[in-house]
Amino acid sequence: MSSDPYSAQVRELFSGAEHAGDLEKPAARVQISEQDVRLALAADIDDDIIVGLRFRAWGCPHLIAAAEAFCRAYEGRPVRGLLTFGAAEIMQTLPVPREKLGRILVLEDAVRSLGQSVRVSPDPGKDTD
Amino acid sequence: MNSDADIVYLDYAATTPVDPRVIDVMTPLFGAGGDFANPSSGHTAGRRAMARVERATGQLAELLGCSESELVWTSGATESDNLAITGAARYRADRGRHLITMPTEHKAVSDVFVRLEKQGFEVSWLYPDAAGLLDPAELEAAIRPDTQLVSIMHVNNETGVIQDIEALGAVCRARDVLFHVDAAQSVGKLPLDLGSMPIDLLSTTAHKIYGPKGIGALYVADRPGCHVEPLIFGGGQQGGRRPGTLAVPLIAGFGAAASVAMAEMQQNREHLQALNDRLWQGIRDLAGVVRNGGADCTFPGILNVSIEDVEGESLLLALEPLCVATGSACNSKSQEPSPVLRALGRSDLLAQSAVRFSFGRPTTREAVDFAVARYREAVARLRSIATGLVA
Repeated sequence: MSSDPYSAQVRELFSGAEHAGDLEKPAARVQISEQDVRLALAADIDDDIIVGLRFRAWGCPHLIAAAEAFCRAYEGRPVRGLLTFGAAEIMQTLPVPREKLGRILVLEDAVRSLGQSVRVSPDPGKDTD
Repeated sequence: MNSDADIVYLDYAATTPVDPRVIDVMTPLFGAGGDFANPSSGHTAGRRAMARVERATGQLAELLGCSESELVWTSGATESDNLAITGAARYRADRGRHLITMPTEHKAVSDVFVRLEKQGFEVSWLYPDAAGLLDPAELEAAIRPDTQLVSIMHVNNETGVIQDIEALGAVCRARDVLFHVDAAQSVGKLPLDLGSMPIDLLSTTAHKIYGPKGIGALYVADRPGCHVEPLIFGGGQQGGRRPGTLAVPLIAGFGAAASVAMAEMQQNREHLQALNDRLWQGIRDLAGVVRNGGADCTFPGILNVSIEDVEGESLLLALEPLCVATGSACNSKSQEPSPVLRALGRSDLLAQSAVRFSFGRPTTREAVDFAVARYREAVARLRSIATGLVA
């Protein structure tokens, strides 16, 4: 069992957080502040597709890595995907230790809020009646 | 640069490498042909091993300014603290059950007091001033007729603050209260003369002064009313105060480390002061940086700084390959802000951003310059990531 609390993936995401920053005129922006976490997310949208994501974060390395991982994964995806973003997958893939779950749930809340703050077109594959 | 290929070590307050001169003393004592025997054995080999122990005891006694009979070998400062506090409190329990310490003590002390509280002792926790110092008048005011023991550390392991243990000890001596000092960070680094100082019990360890891990000592003054009840039993070694087969190679290593520390104390202190000044000068202009512990009352081997708007755990990772500490090493997995820094009046956020740089004999100016550059770069990057989020 490794004594290193940070996986190679967490280290790479933390040190290479290229999505840390702002967008000039984001379509949506959310910010959450809790005791150990401050997190802001901004999105550029074009025709229901996320074309740009940026984050700002004050928190532990796992939070910064998770925010960067989210941005990398969701650029180019449909906006509606934000509404179903879950912390579980990111907790498992980075991985993030269980005691940090609360911080990753802040990211989950921020991502879903971001999705809700964007006007989402109905899913063409679903009956909207 | 005082580094291996991939690290720059600035955590000498946590532990030090063993000095090659100490290794030379210890190595022949492990194997056949060396003085490996049990020093309690009466045969020739045992007597030779005991001679090694006696030589080391003399070396440590010389460093501390005490007599050999006042020293008890232990496994380290944590055991010494436990033996001193628990042993003395139990020994004097029939006279009173009030004890005094500070929340800024190492956990090897504070956790013992917490345990004693659960066992029916009453503990007064005295807070330091903003510089980290305890006013002797405040200690005097806290002592009651039933007070039996005061425990105050000499050099704080997180901030390097040096308590005036002579003045504090004098207050205790005048009131016939035992005075214990955790000196894990000061023995071999600051002059001590226990024969003339009002100290009854003093804990120390080898691995902070380039000796081996696993060996420490407790000084128990040879004076009436000063005694510790043992915590472990069986064997009768060391007058029954701490039984168990003596670890001859470790003890010899501690003795050798004590001798080297004594001979080089002044030059080491000047070396550490120069490094401390260099690091502080290199970062003091950063916005929101504060030094934890008064500059004029801290041991130069430690520089503890906090900085506004920067999260501590991320700072520690961003500082790699620097090896530094956020809290005491024994407590570094805790997410809680340091109680030591909270006691100095630091906010949770500021306490959480604290980094302890600690220097040693091998530390070079180049290593400090690297630390300055790395710290500035890490702070700038993390502040950039958090722009607009922290007031």
